[in-house]
Amino acid sequence: MTRTLTVAEMTLRETARRRGVLLMLLVLPLAFYLARRGDHLGQSIRFVCLGLSWALSTAALFVGSAARSLEPRLRLSGYRTHDLFLGRLAALWALGLGLSAPYFLLIRFDQHDVRYGAIAVIMLIGVLVAPLFGLAVSALLPRDLEGMLVLLTVVGLQMILDPAGNAARLLPFWYSREIGTYAIDHTSAGYLDRGLLHGAVTAGLLLAVVAVAFGVRLRRRPHVRIV
Amino acid sequence: MDQDRRAQWLRGVLDLCVLGLLARGDSYGYELAQSLQSAGLGAIQGGTLYPVLLRLQRSGLVTVYWREGGGGPARKYYQVSPAGRAVLSEASGQWAAFAGGVGAILQERTAR
Amino acid sequence: MRYEIWLAALTDELRRHGVGPDLAGHVVAEAAGHLRDSGEPPLRAFGPPAAYAAAVADSVGGPVGPARAAVGPVRLRAIDIVKRYGRRTVLSGVSLAVHAGQVAAIVGANGSGKSTFLRICAGLTGADGGRVELHGTVGYCPQAGGTADFLRADEHFALIGAGRGVPRGAAARDGARQAAALDWAPGDEQARQLSGGTRQKLNLVLAGLGDPDILLLDEPYQGFDRGTYLDFWHEVWRWRDAGRAVVVVTHLLNQLDRVDVVLDLSAGDTGVAA
Repeated sequence: MTRTLTVAEMTLRETARRRGVLLMLLVLPLAFYLARRGDHLGQSIRFVCLGLSWALSTAALFVGSAARSLEPRLRLSGYRTHDLFLGRLAALWALGLGLSAPYFLLIRFDQHDVRYGAIAVIMLIGVLVAPLFGLAVSALLPRDLEGMLVLLTVVGLQMILDPAGNAARLLPFWYSREIGTYAIDHTSAGYLDRGLLHGAVTAGLLLAVVAVAFGVRLRRRPHVRIV
Repeated sequence: MDQDRRAQWLRGVLDLCVLGLLARGDSYGYELAQSLQSAGLGAIQGGTLYPVLLRLQRSGLVTVYWREGGGGPARKYYQVSPAGRAVLSEASGQWAAFAGGVGAILQERTAR
Repeated sequence: MRYEIWLAALTDELRRHGVGPDLAGHVVAEAAGHLRDSGEPPLRAFGPPAAYAAAVADSVGGPVGPARAAVGPVRLRAIDIVKRYGRRTVLSGVSLAVHAGQVAAIVGANGSGKSTFLRICAGLTGADGGRVELHGTVGYCPQAGGTADFLRADEHFALIGAGRGVPRGAAARDGARQAAALDWAPGDEQARQLSGGTRQKLNLVLAGLGDPDILLLDEPYQGFDRGTYLDFWHEVWRWRDAGRAVVVVTHLLNQLDRVDVVLDLSAGDTGVAA
């Protein structure tokens, strides 16, 4: 437990010193929100949720890449693989909560006639899923640049694809649009249920990807025997 | 005098010169440097002289003792050992022959 | 340079060059006397302290090491390690055994597989054949990297220490002590703000944090100035005297007469020389 918490604490300290990352985290969702504020009701909410998810995923991507050079040494020092990725996730989840709270309040007071509870749900699922997505991408792709391209593509597709179509469900943030429809257009609860299911499945799948990718990369090699 | 050439010559003879001075009487570092200078070898820096003294000490050609200074801290005195005297007398003969040969060559050249 | 500063620097440099404390004391006293008598500035009379200390060390014939204590149990045993990259065989059946209280040097030309072999011993890279036995905890220092850009030195100590089960205060003290042996006082800077050589000192300290039984060091002296390089070897010998097994990948040969085991990978050979 101490080990996981230490990793989480150091991740938070590191991220707090990365001005570029912090700036992006704070400004990007706001830019998304303001860009669509003049549009018809609710577009800005959809976009700010997407922006938050993208910003958190990107932060997770950078955290994952930066940590790579240290991880072999941490393993040798006695950390188990799950200490490492759970610690980083814990830090990112905490960061996500801290980031989302002001935006929720913004929506609470700036937008009217929407289901605030559902919007809170979208944000909570986003806090859960986005860091998992970013960390999974960084675990699978060794370089920042390729990871960023993947994130860009996903977010771009998320905006373009028709959420009703089947292809859109394969995207990690589809739940956001589905529950968003429920919250903004006051549709039936079916949208909420589908969104929750998608969120849960996505979170589970991504966590498995992270665990396996980390496990393979940092595995104990078979030729070594520790006496 | 050309400093590079002087340094080369000194490398060859400094230990023998020090032995020669010590044969006349025990001495310490700074006094030896002054004697070498007044003998015409030019200024010998401490950084050059003391490693030579250490080598002589290590090969047993000199022995050392500390003597309380009059108004200051103790000084390290060097004394030539019997082995040192033997080396000195042998080297003196060799040097006379060597320097004589070099001098003869150089005389011939300048005479021409 | 004023006398006292120069003399203090000379004392340090003599220690670094392995001159015994008695002789060093005499040398410094004699130099002090000479400076007093002649009234000359130290730099003119003796030159830089490091140069004079080196000349003294040469004249004395090098440091005499303490009698070697009996070696302890084997800590690292690598048997018949084979490693291939595609069609190229980098290591063909290399073996090495290092006991507690021994220093092993791995030498060889560039590309002969020294770093790869060390990583295989650490368990960071897979091997295509052979096996490695580790009897104890391992500390590893890569040639470069191994530090987090945005963390401070004490945060690094806490992080590594937590892995070894060392509480934060003890880890910070241990780190500061090992850093001092390399002539470095860690401050509040983040790792990315340190100079290359200093960052590598951090790397080396992290390898030794928590007193692991086996130390695997891959040419960790990149960017070290000459004084720190000598300090590094003093640390290696201190670790040896403390009963650890130290393996150093190096291509600088002049320290080899102070190591116990030499593994030469250059001819693609497989054996170990003691």
